[in-house]
Amino acid sequence: MSKYSVIGARVRMIGGTEKVTGDAKYTSDLTLPGMLYGKILRSPHPHAKILNIDTSKAEKMIGVKAVVTGADTIGKKQGIWRRFPELCDEEILCRAKVRYIGDAVAAVAAVDEDTAEEALGLIEVEYETLPAVFDPMEAITEEAPQIHEGVELNINVNRHIEWGNVDEAFTKCDHIREDQFVCSSQAHMCMETHCALASFDYNGKLTVWTSTQSSYYIQVLLMGMLGMREGDIRVINPYTGGGFGSKFELDSAQFCASLLSKKICRPVKIVLTREEEFTATKRRTPMYYFLKLGAKKDGTLLAKEVRVITEGGAYTAMGATALYLTGFFSSFPYKYPNYRYDGYRSYTNTEPTSAMRGFGAPQSTFVGESQLDMMAEDLGIDPIEIRRKNGMTPDYVVPGQAFIQSCGLHQCLDKIEALIKERGKLPPNHGIGIAAYGFMSGGIFNWFDTPYSFSAAIVKINIDGKVDLFTGANEIGQGSNTTLSMICAEELGVKFEDIRIHSADTGICPPDLGGWGSRQTLMSGNAVKMAAADAKRQIMEFAAAKMGVNIVYDLDIKDQWIHLVDRPERGVSYFDVVKEAIRGRDGEVIIGRGHYTPHRKGMISPAYSFGIQAAEVEVDPETGKYKLLNVSTAHDSGQVINQVGIEGQLEGAIMMAGGYGYCEDQPMDKGKILNPSIADYKMIRSLDMPETKILEIDTYEPEGPFGAKEAGEGLTNPTAGAIGNAIYKAVGVRVNTLPITPEKVFRALREKESKQKR
Amino acid sequence: MKKVVKLTVNGQAYDLYIKPKTLLIEVLRDHLGLTGTKRGCNTGSCGACAVILDGMAVKSCSVLALQADGGEVMTVEGLAIGAELHPLQKAFLDHGAVQCGFCTSGMLMSSKALLDENPNPDKQQIKEGIDGHICRCTGYNSIVRAITDVVKGEYKEAK
Amino acid sequence: MSYHCPVCKKVSHAPLDLARHMIGRGDKVHRDWIYSKGFKYSELLLLQIKSFGGEGFKALAEVLEKETKVED
Repeated sequence: MSKYSVIGARVRMIGGTEKVTGDAKYTSDLTLPGMLYGKILRSPHPHAKILNIDTSKAEKMIGVKAVVTGADTIGKKQGIWRRFPELCDEEILCRAKVRYIGDAVAAVAAVDEDTAEEALGLIEVEYETLPAVFDPMEAITEEAPQIHEGVELNINVNRHIEWGNVDEAFTKCDHIREDQFVCSSQAHMCMETHCALASFDYNGKLTVWTSTQSSYYIQVLLMGMLGMREGDIRVINPYTGGGFGSKFELDSAQFCASLLSKKICRPVKIVLTREEEFTATKRRTPMYYFLKLGAKKDGTLLAKEVRVITEGGAYTAMGATALYLTGFFSSFPYKYPNYRYDGYRSYTNTEPTSAMRGFGAPQSTFVGESQLDMMAEDLGIDPIEIRRKNGMTPDYVVPGQAFIQSCGLHQCLDKIEALIKERGKLPPNHGIGIAAYGFMSGGIFNWFDTPYSFSAAIVKINIDGKVDLFTGANEIGQGSNTTLSMICAEELGVKFEDIRIHSADTGICPPDLGGWGSRQTLMSGNAVKMAAADAKRQIMEFAAAKMGVNIVYDLDIKDQWIHLVDRPERGVSYFDVVKEAIRGRDGEVIIGRGHYTPHRKGMISPAYSFGIQAAEVEVDPETGKYKLLNVSTAHDSGQVINQVGIEGQLEGAIMMAGGYGYCEDQPMDKGKILNPSIADYKMIRSLDMPETKILEIDTYEPEGPFGAKEAGEGLTNPTAGAIGNAIYKAVGVRVNTLPITPEKVFRALREKESKQKR
Repeated sequence: MKKVVKLTVNGQAYDLYIKPKTLLIEVLRDHLGLTGTKRGCNTGSCGACAVILDGMAVKSCSVLALQADGGEVMTVEGLAIGAELHPLQKAFLDHGAVQCGFCTSGMLMSSKALLDENPNPDKQQIKEGIDGHICRCTGYNSIVRAITDVVKGEYKEAK
Repeated sequence: MSYHCPVCKKVSHAPLDLARHMIGRGDKVHRDWIYSKGFKYSELLLLQIKSFGGEGFKALAEVLEKETKVED
């Protein structure tokens, strides 16, 4: 019998009915009277000066209503790391220089898309091409062309994390390994491409409907780039077709549509094509990893040294965060007494690299878990044992960095160990590989420099007992509207159907940093819980008075029934008390307010999820081809709020993370992405998707609402590592570069054979 | 040189006057305002634009409206009967087979076409039936489970 | 024994740690000092990242051992 009425139940997602009936309106479905269609002209060169742009022919074309270039902007550079102005380096609409193939140089608004597209062909841009550099190892040399003024050697950011004494510790180790890995890029491949409908009116106010993970971030970034007041910009998030980290920065569709609309006071809609989506947005950060790991012969890990250089692409974007987090999560989920991380991010003339689900942790988990298995083999220790010996435990403190409260890693290890034992002896060429992870539930850092609390919520109770919940949190398909409504209903003691949620409209919802970094369940959830508790208190005052019970008794609401906690049969209807509470307060509407910002929780996150994944593969030793048969995950996300939602996150993460390990890649030739189409960008489809198994464990996170913490990103971390370890178990070869394609497995097998012959 | 095209969409007959290069998806979304069908790629690779044309699931971004002349089209808007959701729609909701929803209309159309042709597919056939569709959110297995439940008769047909 | 950075206020307990500080800071004043000793900054950085055993820091540390040591 669950102690909760709503939390943990299986419910249909809010907005689901609209989606299955085709009623849900996404940004590209919206039209406004007088609306124009926009298209963007992009650089064909990876690095070039813009000498001149002549838009006169395009402007004269029938059906074209406005053309903009960098000259129409206020000349600002923007970036997410607003506390560090030197990292705000992106103009979006380039003025003097283009820095990658796809960098925007002009935009057109016309009566239809075909006309706009044709007008692009009439814009004459005079470029002076410059030498370009694509490899970060070359980009940081003295001979490389400088990509951004004032940034010598193209070293964009560097980050260092250290505790203990790594050099001394290595001298005490019985065994040391050094290994190199290359982690590839990955495209977010949201089903809905980036798009925006911007409407600037004659009063100087801008409304933007856009597919976004953070309405608030887009509002503030537009404010900076357009030189407007924050309150004169309203960003609304209609139904959104996926984000995965690609949609919380100001993008070319949003900026160009706003700029065009501002020029002529007419609505302008821009929807990026799939090719633009692949080449002119942002992507996962490729990383070159050099790891040194030292242990005692009993498997105790003593020291880890991590050296990373990442390919930054043309702009900083969120790449600085990825650089930091990959270094931090390289220490997860184990207790290292001595640790050192030195990371460098290099600019290159390629598509900017930024945030993508996992934010540097899929990379660090792949390399770390691969190396740990290798260390275990060197020492003759079982892979589960070495993880058990060194795994984090509840209340562990990462020196100088983080406080871990709940941690279910060991329960997860037990579950996976039991599962593998049960599977028993495997057929030939089959292998099961494991990988463990830990991940954050939202970040504590405020590089964006917001003056607001990170999350806020308002609860309004109507005379008929129905509840309006206002939250800035963004529903992007992950089910946050559902999860937050469940938290509200549980706290307030009403039914899930009593809640009507309004989210991510900056005109009516309080600010929230948005749906990225796995923050909303914990942070927005805490704000919602506080707002619901505030509204509840206002009702309970009247309930106590109405019921007149002895002061020793506590009252609570559950399932719309206000009752004595000790004698639940004695109570009154929530609906009656709401009416009385409103009348008793002179008709004043009952409004509850809540907010949340993590305090005194270290430098990274208020709470961490943990888990371990086991992947079974079957390899064909002749061809190197392999099948993902089964991926089982034991995960610790604290109290599960939205059961259907979490299962969806877990299975969906396997598709994306499995793809990262198996087949997704963006090969480039001199800065040009060679496969910018769905036909050529290989992803896991229904026939390739493995069977999945979820093993629940029971933990409670004190910092989270009802004990909950994140689930969307941590689950994306381990799959590539589990696949790599599984292939090694199956056929005895290791591939240290992602993706682990059949071709690489084939080559490794043939190389192993020829070595054995010698 | 515009041409007249006759289409029946979700049971309603239309006469449309269109340029020959107009794609079926443009007719549905832009001319008839049926925005349930989505554009995911415009190159016939992702499946988001799937509709049912004369009983067969087709990618409407790769079909000219002229090629569909005289035909019967069903889009996702035609799946529910009145206010009653179709069993596939109910099953998708119950199984969490919908997250961001952008692939959903196409997925539903292919599922319906599959079940209309073969009311008793096994798991492998169901997976093959939706193999032309990308879903970036769910990992496909919940979609397969939803369709399987409909096949098993878990949802009564709408009267 | 301590090692004082030749261009800023940083004081380290070991030359290897000071080398890490200088290469890590990587700003113009630190790089210029490194160049003045006949090293190429980017070569040291790449050597440190790619070489087993972290040779980049060691190379600079040898010079720092001689030039920045301060007896306490």
